[in-house]
Amino acid sequence: MEKKTDRRGFLKVSLSAFMAGTLFSSCDLSRFKNPKTMIKSPIRTNILRPPGAVPEEHFAQKCIRCGRCGEVCPYHCIKYFDVKTGGVFSGTPYINVMEKPCYLCMKCVYVCPTGSLVPCAKEEVRMGVAVINRQICVTWQQEKTGLMCKTCFNVCPFSGIAIKIDHDFRPYIVEENCTGCGICAYSCIADTYPENNGKKAIAIQPIKWKKIKEVKLKDIKNS
Amino acid sequence: MARGKSFFKRITLWRYLFLTVCFIVVVANPFTNYYWNINFIQGWFQSLGVGNLWVVSPLEGLESILTAKSFYMPSLVGMVVPVVLALLMGRVFCSWMCPIEFLSLLTDKVLGLVPKWGRKLKYRKDLVRLAKYTIWFSLVSELLITMIIGYPMFVWWSPPGLVGRETMFYVFYKHITVEAVIVLVVLVLNLITRRMFCRYFCPLGALLALIGKKRQLVIKYDANRCVGCKVCDSRCPMGILPSIGESQSIYCWNCAECVDACPTSALNFVWRDKGIILPTTQRLN
Repeated sequence: MEKKTDRRGFLKVSLSAFMAGTLFSSCDLSRFKNPKTMIKSPIRTNILRPPGAVPEEHFAQKCIRCGRCGEVCPYHCIKYFDVKTGGVFSGTPYINVMEKPCYLCMKCVYVCPTGSLVPCAKEEVRMGVAVINRQICVTWQQEKTGLMCKTCFNVCPFSGIAIKIDHDFRPYIVEENCTGCGICAYSCIADTYPENNGKKAIAIQPIKWKKIKEVKLKDIKNS
Repeated sequence: MARGKSFFKRITLWRYLFLTVCFIVVVANPFTNYYWNINFIQGWFQSLGVGNLWVVSPLEGLESILTAKSFYMPSLVGMVVPVVLALLMGRVFCSWMCPIEFLSLLTDKVLGLVPKWGRKLKYRKDLVRLAKYTIWFSLVSELLITMIIGYPMFVWWSPPGLVGRETMFYVFYKHITVEAVIVLVVLVLNLITRRMFCRYFCPLGALLALIGKKRQLVIKYDANRCVGCKVCDSRCPMGILPSIGESQSIYCWNCAECVDACPTSALNFVWRDKGIILPTTQRLN
């Protein structure tokens, strides 16, 4: 006997197929080509972990997404990924230094219950490393711009240690001492110079998948 | 309604009050943190910090340990309080503190206000019944998926945690995230079967039930007093049958609905040890 497909069955099948299709297409399929990129860390330039964070490969494993670091942050600079922006990293904290940099008050590291943020001193923080783009920096392009700006040197909490200025007042970063707090990147005024098209001269590159002591100049240049 | 007991003697009254207080704590602390910078209470039920007392939810802590493969003492110490609570009293977190239970209860109460069908809606029949042991599969699959992927999963999709997190997101960043859908789905599942998620799918509830298998606080069924009206069976939100003594099983979450519903007080909370110790002391005297 031939099996009949009634209207209800047809509707059910088509509806479920439609639902599955929408669900499937809403996933970003390009991420599924390489299994390694399915769970790719959303940490990138200027998007950094809070101070005292363990290396990125362990961070999302340890963090239980309790949100206490963000609640104690007096500057409200700690934000959180959601499923759209972070995938399985949803709910982990980050600091976007271009919106609001970290002022190194070190309150968040003392409330973390899981050891994702390890208590440490201010100068031991290594959220990332500041990199100066000398093509954009108005002081490095003195001859073109005729400006002399010391903003990054002035705002740096470790000025003279992490950022130094040479005999022409041009700033340069001492990578070993840079905490990556991002105050210099946030307050850089190069974006107001018309020829720069709103680009800032300093960007913070995250230190990922490396122990803090192993970071070398070579790695920073490559990143 | 609760014919045998006066208003203030009902245990469920205290449960509703306690649930409300817990819900207010979770919802209010983003406001106090954001607007007044009072950091006395931080976080929500994934990790709650009250002063120097840190409480870490057992399943989230366990997942963190399983995936990171390392121990961190504050996290372990934080898990002591909920584990001891579950050892002594079973799943009381679910029935007395969980914000999802508060919201489910609220929807039940609102449904109860509907004229004519209110009572039927409030104590509605379960449309879909699964096997009770589904919850163990849920716990095991949750842990397995977590370990296969290598990142803890329940930490970001746990519905009780999401209630706090969405509030915090709304207060701090003025938007809520996609995950709020999970909370809505859990509440809609309630309409199909009462506490469907809590009964069959909640891995945290499963872990707490497992810890509280030999719990001290149980609901004792007295067959001599029972008149067989089966009110307790219809009231139980977990769908177990106290009228045949299932209230001492692993699936009971000590919510005291049956205790208050019983017209002859055949169901009562007992401290299990007391039942063993008391006769011996009496004999000695």
